[in-house]
Amino acid sequence: MADFSPTRSRRKRRGLYSAWVTSREAFWLALEALRSHKLRSLLTLLGVVIATTTLISVMSVVNGMNLYFQERIANLGANVFIIHQFQWAQGYESFLKARRRNKPVRMEEYEFLKENLPNYKNICADSRMDGESDVRYQGHTMYDVRLEGTTPSFIDMREERVGIGRYFTDSDYQHSAMVCFIGQDLADEFFPNVDPLGKEINVRGTAFRVVGVAEKIGTTFGQSADKFVEIPLTTYQKVFIARPQIALSVQAWNPQQMMVLEDEARALLRARRHVPYNEDDDFGINASDTLMSAWDRLTGSVFAVTIAIVAVFMVVGGIVIMNIMLASVTERTHEIGIRKSLGARRRDILMQFLIESAVTAATGGLLGVFFAAIISRIVDIFFTSSVPAHAVIIGLALSTTVGLFFGIYPASKAARLDPIEALRTET
Amino acid sequence: MASQVAPSSIQERIAPSDGIIIKTHDLWKTYDMGEAIAVQALCGVSFEIERGEYVAIMGPSGSGKSTLMNLIGCLDTPTRGKYWLNGNLVSELSDDELAYIRNKEIGFVFQTFNLLARASALHNVELPLIYSGVTAAERQERAEEALRKVELADRMHHKPNELSGGQRQRVAVARALVNDPSIILADEPTGNLDSATGEEIMKLFDRLHESRNTIVLVTHEHDIAAHAHRILHIRDGKIDRDERVQ
Repeated sequence: MADFSPTRSRRKRRGLYSAWVTSREAFWLALEALRSHKLRSLLTLLGVVIATTTLISVMSVVNGMNLYFQERIANLGANVFIIHQFQWAQGYESFLKARRRNKPVRMEEYEFLKENLPNYKNICADSRMDGESDVRYQGHTMYDVRLEGTTPSFIDMREERVGIGRYFTDSDYQHSAMVCFIGQDLADEFFPNVDPLGKEINVRGTAFRVVGVAEKIGTTFGQSADKFVEIPLTTYQKVFIARPQIALSVQAWNPQQMMVLEDEARALLRARRHVPYNEDDDFGINASDTLMSAWDRLTGSVFAVTIAIVAVFMVVGGIVIMNIMLASVTERTHEIGIRKSLGARRRDILMQFLIESAVTAATGGLLGVFFAAIISRIVDIFFTSSVPAHAVIIGLALSTTVGLFFGIYPASKAARLDPIEALRTET
Repeated sequence: MASQVAPSSIQERIAPSDGIIIKTHDLWKTYDMGEAIAVQALCGVSFEIERGEYVAIMGPSGSGKSTLMNLIGCLDTPTRGKYWLNGNLVSELSDDELAYIRNKEIGFVFQTFNLLARASALHNVELPLIYSGVTAAERQERAEEALRKVELADRMHHKPNELSGGQRQRVAVARALVNDPSIILADEPTGNLDSATGEEIMKLFDRLHESRNTIVLVTHEHDIAAHAHRILHIRDGKIDRDERVQ
């Protein structure tokens, strides 16, 4: 009395609904199986967990480093670009070429651009002494101090801020005054309880009078940014290096204007240096975006290696899941026979086991996310790490896909079992 | 799902209203054991069973009764011959179509009960309804109804290992009934039960028969077969004798 040949659409609807119900049943069955064999489940998931943890941890560290880099290093100051002998973030080969070819930027070119570059907000020059310097004061010596000669506008454009005292004046600059501006580390070391202003410190054998102390900046990648002495660039030329190599910083009014200004500076400098139109610049213009893209290239290769490692673990994890599912199918052959005798079609059995496989793998993925979050927290204490939201989604999606893919073989084996044979199998 | 099921044009078409629920014509089943050895489990079996009959298929082991049962239960298809169930030719169906038939038309009762060990009695009875795509609420209702019919409503949340052998078999009978099948197909239903419990189960089948269910019972024991109203004796793959009892 059953309707033997129902219409196709009714059959399809019934088929879809039964598929949904079977899926739900399979879902809970899978969770139940995981819960009841915790150790076995953990071993099953190990590969997937390790893969997901690795993936998300690395993505978190890279993400943290990106944010850090963006904040501390790529941030040259708002709308600032720096003209220097070299492009700072280029490949090794192009660097070798540049070393042969590029000419340093000199003070005359600073004066030239200062005069001829139209409509900039600010411009300054600085020269950093090669190697570290020793600074002495009343018997104390501080080693490995960064020594830099600067123009007065430097303080308005870069990271340093005046804490106490003042920066150099145009008068200091014009008269090559023997004054200096020191970083917080020197103040802490030499003048812990006294006013540093007016005191004389000895830099590389020459005395300079302290006119100002910078606000504390902090560390960048572990190095202290507060261990420096700055003197007027003219003084630097008088005392140390007559024709120094400089970095020329130009500040624009806004990001769009910065691009225009870059082009103009480039044109002016090329003209002054007589660089033929078909040759590359023999100097470098550095801005935040070039630094960021170079950084991305670097982390890109780190990422590529990570992907390879993660892929290996995922495949291993997937194979483990496949084997466990095969064992599960064998264990439950009798059960499959019962289900088939009651009307389960191949696709019902297939879906049941596919879902089990996917749920198992997804659980591994979730565990991986959990562990990665913990690791990220710990790493962030010592270094930097921040879990990006899309990493979690990728991790879960990836592990579920692995489960589905490696579950196909066991599931199809289960689906193709002969019901009579299966029923004959002992439980 | 493939084409509609239709009888062959060269054989008679049997409409359900004829009252014949099972008709087999010249059923053969050959097993290929490899190396040119073939085992003829069934050698041309033909019979008819009317709606509402209580038939036993009896024979010693090796007679082919299990093979015949698998064919009747649509767990397998014959090598040759035709089988009509409830008016439609099922002997040439695909695996998926056979599954559909099993779900809708056949209510199995096995010697070893064949319940899912990790599911409650209620869930076991629900299983055929799940594969039919019945909604949860209706499923629960019909499963409970079926369990009431076999007087196990108070144990519906128990798992099989919390039930006695007789109770387990009754759950199996409830499961067989839940989708309102054309026939109840019982394979040695009392084989794993003591004689007293076995009697209870046979009384249950009597009641089911009185409620106008068609019952096909496969057994090698004469005492059990005697409960039926007709016995098909099978020997060496052929129907030996068609005996009307009672």
